[in-house]
Amino acid sequence: MVYGLTAALLTAGCGVHESSTVSIGFVAPLTGDQAPYGEDMRNGAQLAVEQANARGEVIPGYRLALYALDDQRSPTQAVAAAKKLVADPDVVAVVGNLNSSCTMPASAVYHEARLLQISPVSSNPQISRQGFDTFYRTCATDDLQGPAAALFAVKDLKARRIFILDDMTTYGRGLANEFEQKARKLGAEVLGHEGITQGDKEFAPLLTKVKALKPDLLYFAGMFPEGALLIKQRADIGMGGLFLGGDGIFDPVLIDLATPQAAEGVYLTTIGSDIRAVPSAREFLHAYEERFGPVGAYSAYAYEATSIAIEAIRRASKKDRAAVLAAMKTITDYPGIFGSQNFDRNGDTLIKDIGIFTVKAGRFSFIKTATWD
Amino acid sequence: MGLTPLQLFLQQLANGATLGAIYALIALGYSMIYGVVQLINFAHGEIFVVGAYLALSVALLLAPFALPWWAVLAACGLGAMAGCALLGLLIERTAYRPLRRAPRLNALITAIGLSFVLQNALMLAYGATDRMVPPLIPSVRWNLGGVSVTLIQAVIWASSAGLMGLLQAIVMHTKLGTAMRATAQDATACRLLGIPVDRVIAVTFAIGSALAAFGGILYSLYYGSINFHDGYLTGLKAFTAAVLGGIGNIPGAMVGGLILGLLEGLGAGYLSAQWKNAFAFIVLVVMLLFKPRGLLGERVAERA
Amino acid sequence: MVLLWTMVYGLWTLLMERPSALHLARWAAGIGAAFLLPLVLPNAYYLDVLTTALIFALLALGLNIIVGLSGVLHLGYAAFYAIGAYTYGLLSVRCGVPFWLGLVPAALVAGLAGAALGAPALRVRGDYLAIVTLGFGEIVRIAFNNLDQWTGGPNGLLGIAHPRVWLPGRGTLDFGVASAPYYYLTLAAVVLIAGGYVRLSRSRIGRAWLAIREDELAAGCSGIPVLPMKLLAQGCGGAVAGLAGAIFASKQGTITPDSFDFVLSVMVLAMVVLGGLGSTRGAIIGALLLGVMPELLRGFNQYRMLLFGLSMIIVIRLRPEGLFGGAPTRKAAHARAA
Repeated sequence: MVYGLTAALLTAGCGVHESSTVSIGFVAPLTGDQAPYGEDMRNGAQLAVEQANARGEVIPGYRLALYALDDQRSPTQAVAAAKKLVADPDVVAVVGNLNSSCTMPASAVYHEARLLQISPVSSNPQISRQGFDTFYRTCATDDLQGPAAALFAVKDLKARRIFILDDMTTYGRGLANEFEQKARKLGAEVLGHEGITQGDKEFAPLLTKVKALKPDLLYFAGMFPEGALLIKQRADIGMGGLFLGGDGIFDPVLIDLATPQAAEGVYLTTIGSDIRAVPSAREFLHAYEERFGPVGAYSAYAYEATSIAIEAIRRASKKDRAAVLAAMKTITDYPGIFGSQNFDRNGDTLIKDIGIFTVKAGRFSFIKTATWD
Repeated sequence: MGLTPLQLFLQQLANGATLGAIYALIALGYSMIYGVVQLINFAHGEIFVVGAYLALSVALLLAPFALPWWAVLAACGLGAMAGCALLGLLIERTAYRPLRRAPRLNALITAIGLSFVLQNALMLAYGATDRMVPPLIPSVRWNLGGVSVTLIQAVIWASSAGLMGLLQAIVMHTKLGTAMRATAQDATACRLLGIPVDRVIAVTFAIGSALAAFGGILYSLYYGSINFHDGYLTGLKAFTAAVLGGIGNIPGAMVGGLILGLLEGLGAGYLSAQWKNAFAFIVLVVMLLFKPRGLLGERVAERA
Repeated sequence: MVLLWTMVYGLWTLLMERPSALHLARWAAGIGAAFLLPLVLPNAYYLDVLTTALIFALLALGLNIIVGLSGVLHLGYAAFYAIGAYTYGLLSVRCGVPFWLGLVPAALVAGLAGAALGAPALRVRGDYLAIVTLGFGEIVRIAFNNLDQWTGGPNGLLGIAHPRVWLPGRGTLDFGVASAPYYYLTLAAVVLIAGGYVRLSRSRIGRAWLAIREDELAAGCSGIPVLPMKLLAQGCGGAVAGLAGAIFASKQGTITPDSFDFVLSVMVLAMVVLGGLGSTRGAIIGALLLGVMPELLRGFNQYRMLLFGLSMIIVIRLRPEGLFGGAPTRKAAHARAA
């Protein structure tokens, strides 16, 4: 009886969307500890949809909407959300997910359903190597960010002795491994590569150990809460040398948590250049800040991904998944906020800029775009 | 800036002892509560975080008044401890007391459910990101022969030692303390003797929660940030510490906390940081398998 | 249409009382109806959600063996689930072992792990045992996360093979990401395990377990080999989790350590307790309810986990023996009084 009730309850939950709507699905962690990032992304996507609607109908006779679902950073829920979107006839494209561990299994579902998927920030290289023609992404992959960071560390910062830390996640470990490979190739001495656990706060024992090894540079591939604590605690124990991080620490809260004094002089790489420097992004920044407040780490990518999806829908000019997918393939030189967007065979964006920032006087300051030797 | 092996070791000891003191404060609450009601209060770890957040709120409230740091600290401390004591009383009255006659499993499930509720309530109230904690204690660092010690660390050691001494005095030398020890030994006999067992239990919860709140304040000041998720793992480790020292045993909780903190610090410093948490659990499992009474022996009623 | 199915399922759930010819027939009808569901409701999303709930049902059945019958409280059940998933995953990715073959070692290894943990842990009493199992669960998860040469670490295992079946006239069909095949697979597994469990609980082994749970000392005195029986329970429980793990791994294609955390152990425990310790129906129904809840509660977003915790507290307070619990104890009490 309960079994039947359950099925009945699920059935009752459908039929929410009127058929004069065309939707873009959106999946990211909206609850749980990654919720802030997911929220930022949703805001970016929402802005893109609102602006498109304000400019006029994307497809004649239809209103564009954003259908957001939560995956709580759980691969199982990501698959469930994917199937839910696939089953909804209004959805013709999907923007998602955030975490590579979720994007990966979900991409198989979208591929099977021939539904366009654009990931704003999943940077694990493997996802686009599966041969899915439905998968695209608007960020550079870790096999670019890691080596670029290594090059900067060795050539520009003249680091000879490097200690590497990562946060034991798909993202962190992957990025750190790429960094390590390149750093070794460039002749630097890697003193050690260890992991920390996300959510942990006590790094003094580890940092004390690292301090004793006297590295020139400490590289951290992980997110800003742990990054901030590492920066703060390394200052507390009086550890010298430089600190280089990945895009995970690119959040203004980092500077607050680490204290501006300790964060001074910290370097980091980002996927994509400084959007504050790119003229096309200024409009976006202005509009976003007016609507939602300060821009988050990933809002811009979500906006970009959604805008491109909207363009594909506009080109298809009908509410049909196959048409949208085909239209996506025709998009070249899309004037996005990161610059002119093109995609390669695997769906990876050709904008492979890696930005390099430092912290100066309590704020992030852009240095340059990374070079590739 | 090199360190001799001895200096390195002493530094790691200092690091470990600081964390250990915080574990000890939380472990005390676990120990005391288990002593009187034989319940592993899973929600205790969350109370620790609530204390930290309450202190944060008080600090933010007082911010526009530009009071001296020790005044703000005192206000935060009192506010948080009082708040958590009330919370502890509330939980005891509404969630645990009705289940005293029910199977033990039920109380455990309730405790786990409570910890979910508290954690998520915190997330809803304060947001999911790490919140920065204003540095109420000035950041002063001393260099003692190569070993770096900060004012915060000193404060943590001193205040935890002080509080624990106070607690031990209460338990050993006051009527309340005697009642607590008696209830832990045999609650039924106590009732027959006219000891207000329910009140004793309530007070135990209040004291335990206040101690956890104090630990929470120190924790958030030490790290400069707090997150709703911090309670789970820290709580679990504090429970390990309580078991390590012998559950129900107050000096045991202190010793257990210190040892666990040291083990963790030394383990992370000399072996591997990523297995750090596994160490804590391995210690727990080994202790329970081979010496369930703990290092100093437990003080709980024998159950059939 | 839905009402009809509801009624049929209702009959099915009433059926776990005792096997008689009429009951068996209705039981078969109910299960048949469940099998026909995908034809009526071909929505992939619903089937997927139900499949996830059914996997939970498997887990709940397995935990029920350990907790419900032999009275051992377990807070680290997710470890065996993980062991089963990784065993099959590794065999599939490293050695190309197909699903139907890989199932067996997955269940076996998990079962052995269950018994192995059981042996030393049984010396510990009550609450402490719960904590030991919790510790063990966390150690396993951390180990899987850290040993990245073998388990792929936080990246997990990718490219795990989906099951394939050979159908006469159709050739080999790969399950892929379709929902219906997994639904059938898991439903069949649940029916098998539930059926096996019911039979087992009426057999000598089952009665031995019940005796141990009611009064261990007396059971031992009447000649029941207590320790081997307890280990058997642990092993069976572990093996069922291993089976569920293999199915999960084959369905997802990718597994990561963070899918097997303490929260999962707690959820499965909650399902068993809420359904009623020792009750087969209870375990399945508890699992279906709690397994589907996250999807149903999507509308409540941030309040989801809060509501989940609250419901745990409320249900256990209002109905301490669970939805279907109490029956075996009551019957035993009557039997003793007679």
